[in-house]
Amino acid sequence: MATETSESEEEGKISGGNPQLIVDDDLREMAKKAAWSVSSCKPGNGVSSLRDDNLDSYWQSDGAQPHMINIQFQKKVKLQLVVLYVDFKLDESYTPSKISIRAGDGFHNLKDIKTVELVKPIGWVYISLSGNDPRETFVNTFMLQIAVLSNHLNGRDTHLRQIKVYGPRLNPIPQQPFQFTSREFITYSFVR
Amino acid sequence: MEAILVDCVHNSLRNFMIKNSIFLCERLCAEFPSEINMQLLASCYLQNNQAYSAYHILKGTQMAQSRYLFAISCFQMDLLNEAESALCPANEPSAEIPNGAAGHYLLGLIFRYTDRRKNAVHHFKQALSMDPLLWAAYEELCILGAAEEANAVFGDAAALCIQKQYFHHGLASPNIHMCNEDHNSVSARNFGSEGNSPRQLKQTQGNNLRDIPGNYHGASMMGGAATQPLNSGSSNMSFYSTPSPMATQLSGVAPPPLCRNLQPNGPNLSALSADSSPRSTVNSTIQAPRRKFVDEGKLRKISGRLFSDSGPRRSTRLAGEAGAITSMGATTVVANGISNSSRYLGGSKLSSAALRSVTIRKGQSWANENLDEGIHNEAFDDSRANVTSTTSSSFPTGDTRSLEGGANVPIGGVVMNGTRVVTGASEILVLLRTLGEGYRLSCMYRCQDALDVYLKLPHKHYNTGWVLSQVGKAYFELVDYLEADRAFSLARRASPYSLEGMDIYSTNLYHLKEDMKLSYLAQELISTDRLAPQSWCAMGNCYSLQKDHETALKNFQRAVQLSSRFAYAHTLCGHEFVALEDFENGIKSYQSALRVDARHYNSWYGLGMIYLRQEKYEFSEHHFRMAFQINPHSSVIMSYLGTALHSLRRSEEAIEMMEKAILADKKNPLPMYQKANILVSLENFDEALELLEELKEYAPRESSVYALMGKIYKRHNMHDKAMLHFGLALDLKPSATDVATIKAAIEKLHVPDEFEDL
Repeated sequence: MATETSESEEEGKISGGNPQLIVDDDLREMAKKAAWSVSSCKPGNGVSSLRDDNLDSYWQSDGAQPHMINIQFQKKVKLQLVVLYVDFKLDESYTPSKISIRAGDGFHNLKDIKTVELVKPIGWVYISLSGNDPRETFVNTFMLQIAVLSNHLNGRDTHLRQIKVYGPRLNPIPQQPFQFTSREFITYSFVR
Repeated sequence: MEAILVDCVHNSLRNFMIKNSIFLCERLCAEFPSEINMQLLASCYLQNNQAYSAYHILKGTQMAQSRYLFAISCFQMDLLNEAESALCPANEPSAEIPNGAAGHYLLGLIFRYTDRRKNAVHHFKQALSMDPLLWAAYEELCILGAAEEANAVFGDAAALCIQKQYFHHGLASPNIHMCNEDHNSVSARNFGSEGNSPRQLKQTQGNNLRDIPGNYHGASMMGGAATQPLNSGSSNMSFYSTPSPMATQLSGVAPPPLCRNLQPNGPNLSALSADSSPRSTVNSTIQAPRRKFVDEGKLRKISGRLFSDSGPRRSTRLAGEAGAITSMGATTVVANGISNSSRYLGGSKLSSAALRSVTIRKGQSWANENLDEGIHNEAFDDSRANVTSTTSSSFPTGDTRSLEGGANVPIGGVVMNGTRVVTGASEILVLLRTLGEGYRLSCMYRCQDALDVYLKLPHKHYNTGWVLSQVGKAYFELVDYLEADRAFSLARRASPYSLEGMDIYSTNLYHLKEDMKLSYLAQELISTDRLAPQSWCAMGNCYSLQKDHETALKNFQRAVQLSSRFAYAHTLCGHEFVALEDFENGIKSYQSALRVDARHYNSWYGLGMIYLRQEKYEFSEHHFRMAFQINPHSSVIMSYLGTALHSLRRSEEAIEMMEKAILADKKNPLPMYQKANILVSLENFDEALELLEELKEYAPRESSVYALMGKIYKRHNMHDKAMLHFGLALDLKPSATDVATIKAAIEKLHVPDEFEDL
């Protein structure tokens, strides 16, 4: 899965980040058709900067902490990984430090599923949503909320440059209990 | 003045100076407005891809050739209704269809694209009966699934037909057989009513010949103008047994007075004959009605007829539609040169347009031939040198009337004797028979048989782009992707400029997951022809292989835009929509594909898959069944049909279907796996386990096999075996979802069993 650099297990600290975005082939980006909203933003640095595939544009919040990014899906989806792009060198005190990820059916019943602390991150930061139990590999939810609880150097507002949300790919062959892995099976499994 | 202008126009057309020809022709029409000149102008426009202009000037015209040209322009502008009413006017149900076989072919296409299959089939068959070398019509019949065996179609009756045509042609005045004949006023020699023309070419019309002899000798020669040897002995020569080498030089078999007009044609034509001959497809020219015959006295112009409409070129590009083209192409084939200059032009243009199908037509283009008799023509004499005058006895049809005066049929300025015609015709037919049978079998998806048939071809034909790509397609349908890859790469080497079948090649590479080769192919195709749907299909496949479905979709949509009659592009769009989970649009795309080609079984399959995902099992079963009916040899379709049946709880039938699938293709492991699945759900665990053990041998690295076995063992409470298999399954790195499922299953293993020591 995603590579995480020096994460300490108890506190969920992540330092550094990856300059490159590399995810497994069996994951796909899930949030293209989702509704994205933010708790506040500065004009010109709105929510669209989070999804524009441009690492130079960023979202800047403009209010009290915690700052929130809400992602609402049209139907319950299985999610596995959240990847953020942040840059301590460029953003310094705007860089988020404590992030909490919550999931639920809507604003009324969001539950905290993961909390991580970032330490001077530069690049892509991978946050896996899986639990330890194999039955909890995916989070099946209608809504995801990414909350920035605090920033580096106690900054008030935060910058986030890009966010991607990943989940598993569908089984390309419907009505099958398992997906195929070997070449022989896959070759014969569909007509193009 | 008129004559000179016409001659100039023809000359320009022959030299591909289209703009010049349009300009001059417009002056001609302004000065001498007549329908014939209009036809010439229309053909200039069609050459220049301006179907709309041709449409406007020919609107409302009644002459058969005008109606034909008008229909071609309507067809290119997609105004199928108008095209149809031009070819068979609603208020004259018994009117003759202009241009004989060509007209029928065009009408067949129109019916095909407006969903009237029976009529289409009828017309294609008519076209073939009038002109047995009209390959394109046979091809369409195969695509519609209504083709008869090639032996019957290209058999003895066809041979007779061709021979008769030859002789009739010989007697008739030089006419252009081309469908888009441009009858110049100049060369118009009327043989009576216009309506006659289509008939003339019919073999049985001996009468014309009788009428002709008188007129014939004089002016008929003019047709000779075009007796330019096509393809001066280039590759085509090898195909034909006929031609005497003379043919190549001959240009005008025109009577002395006309000769001078013709001469210039010579050099031009030969240059043009550089044909893309390797194609072994044979298209025959349409038997253009000899309609207007040049009147002896006046004509001089003979020469330039041009015609080849750009229509044909474009259509071919657009998917080989208008049959007219074939006539054009045909001329190229006439290696022996006879083509009327016009015809020739058409032909050469076609070849130069890199037509994919080269028509190998021998006889039909020899419109100009003149049955020798008393025609004194110096030019002739040369060509005749080789020809022996034989008696008609060699001619099997016994139609000796036409052979009076010696069985010399001037073909391409070379007077050929009857036997050569006969042998020539039969050789072509042998070739067509093999190709036709191969094509028909592969359209019926009897791929192994098709491959055997193609192997019967002589090497020089087998190693051509078209045949090799058909072979590739056959292997592809047999799911033998490696062999297909080999065949396709040979095809690429044989004709690197050809795009036919390259879309299937790109899908083949997609299946083999060869992304380097695929992207190379796509780049090459795009640089060869940016406007061909196949290139964009290949590009789209490239992106799809890298899982970039949105870009792939864009590429496929581009292909659709370029050619909405290219069914496969629609199907591929459908596949991409499904990958993006946009089922509605997927359904729409598949349905558009089916509208173009109802026998495109991939689209039926695609629809079945969508319904399967949406759990609409009835629909799914229906669609898979349709696909199965079209392609009853595909084990993949059978296994999906079985899955659908199983989902409908018709498990008995499902198992039967799976067994059929297993038998159909021993190398396909999927039906066994599916069968095991069904057995598991029927609680027939032992059989399932047996099957899975077999499968394990065949595909030892398939994680789902182990996972399923683990599940079965778990049900039987054989926990250590279950554990073992789950472990194996996990080792083979299944997808994340499966990892989760398997791990969860492992956890649950511990729960009921306290004694387990894991």
